Amino acid sequence: MLKLGWDLVFTIINLIVLYLLLKKFLIGPVTGIMEKRKALIASSLEDAAAQKNQAQEMKQQYEQSLAASRLESDEIVARARIDARAEYEQILKDAGVQAGQIIENARKSVEAEREQALREMKAQIASLAMDAAEKVTAGKAGAELDQALFDQFITETGDGK
Amino acid sequence: MEELNCDTVFTIPLFGGIPVAESTVVTWIIMAGLVLLSILLVRNLKVENPGKVQLLLESFIGWLSDFFEDILGEHGKRYIPYLITVALYIGVANLIGLLGFKSPTKDLNVTAALAIMSIILIEYAGIRQKGPKKWVKSFAEPMPLLAPINVLEIFIRPLSLCMRLFGNVLGAFVVMELIKLIVPVFVPVPFSFYFDIFDGLIQAYVFVFLTSLFVKEAVE
Repeated sequence: MLKLGWDLVFTIINLIVLYLLLKKFLIGPVTGIMEKRKALIASSLEDAAAQKNQAQEMKQQYEQSLAASRLESDEIVARARIDARAEYEQILKDAGVQAGQIIENARKSVEAEREQALREMKAQIASLAMDAAEKVTAGKAGAELDQALFDQFITETGDGK
Repeated sequence: MEELNCDTVFTIPLFGGIPVAESTVVTWIIMAGLVLLSILLVRNLKVENPGKVQLLLESFIGWLSDFFEDILGEHGKRYIPYLITVALYIGVANLIGLLGFKSPTKDLNVTAALAIMSIILIEYAGIRQKGPKKWVKSFAEPMPLLAPINVLEIFIRPLSLCMRLFGNVLGAFVVMELIKLIVPVFVPVPFSFYFDIFDGLIQAYVFVFLTSLFVKEAVE
């Protein structure tokens, strides 16, 4: 029990052999697999982070382009509004001018018509008066008389009216 | 007294006969058991979707290696496999008494061999880390006056490791035998839990814990 002997040497050899065997068959494979898993987890975490970064970047890009397009659309709408107003005003002005012209034309034509009518009426009245005078002075025919009468009539109707 | 002795199982007929004691034979049995179990358990290890057995094995080995890594630090990592081996060996050796074998750690030869291996490991780690010159100089720290005590430590450390393990296992065995002698039923059960299982595992823990502490001190 208390005697040191050959068994000490045997135990040392046994320990070394056991160490080599366990290292080969137990500790090596197990730690190897754990390292592998650790590497796998680390790499997948890295992947996830990279993907997240990429997504963030893309999101930023989208937001930027969205903001830009919104600005652009606002601009387009504003421009369209300005154009529309200008056109509206133009149309309005044109319409005013045209209306004025039409009214003017109408007035002119009315005037011309009235003048025409007046003139015709004058002519008719003259002929009527001629007829009437002819009938009145049928007995005493005389060109001089006729002319005097006609002139008198004209002056009376033309100015006296 | 019969049970305390380590009998010679057989003699190798060389150099006038080399006796092979029971402890060595039981050590062989332990080695065979550990290696076979390892080979069985390590088959079909998977990186993804590990099975229950693999998870258990991994967490056990991971727990042991984390424990040693905490003590040893970065420089002592390479000694972890040896310390795990010793921890498993002492643990199994202390518990194998439950199966009716004679614990190898009850033989002074075995604990002495373990302690000698430990001090070789400690000094090797020191020389490897510091280089021979600095290693020799490290004996004169913190002051040259203490050099003899530092040199003595080379012998005291393994001696205390050896005797602590041997004394604890032997003492536990003797106490258990005495209890069984006085009250053979029921009473030995809680004592057996304490002396055979708890004490055996604690001694394995203490042995590897102290060895790793000394290694850490050497590589610092």
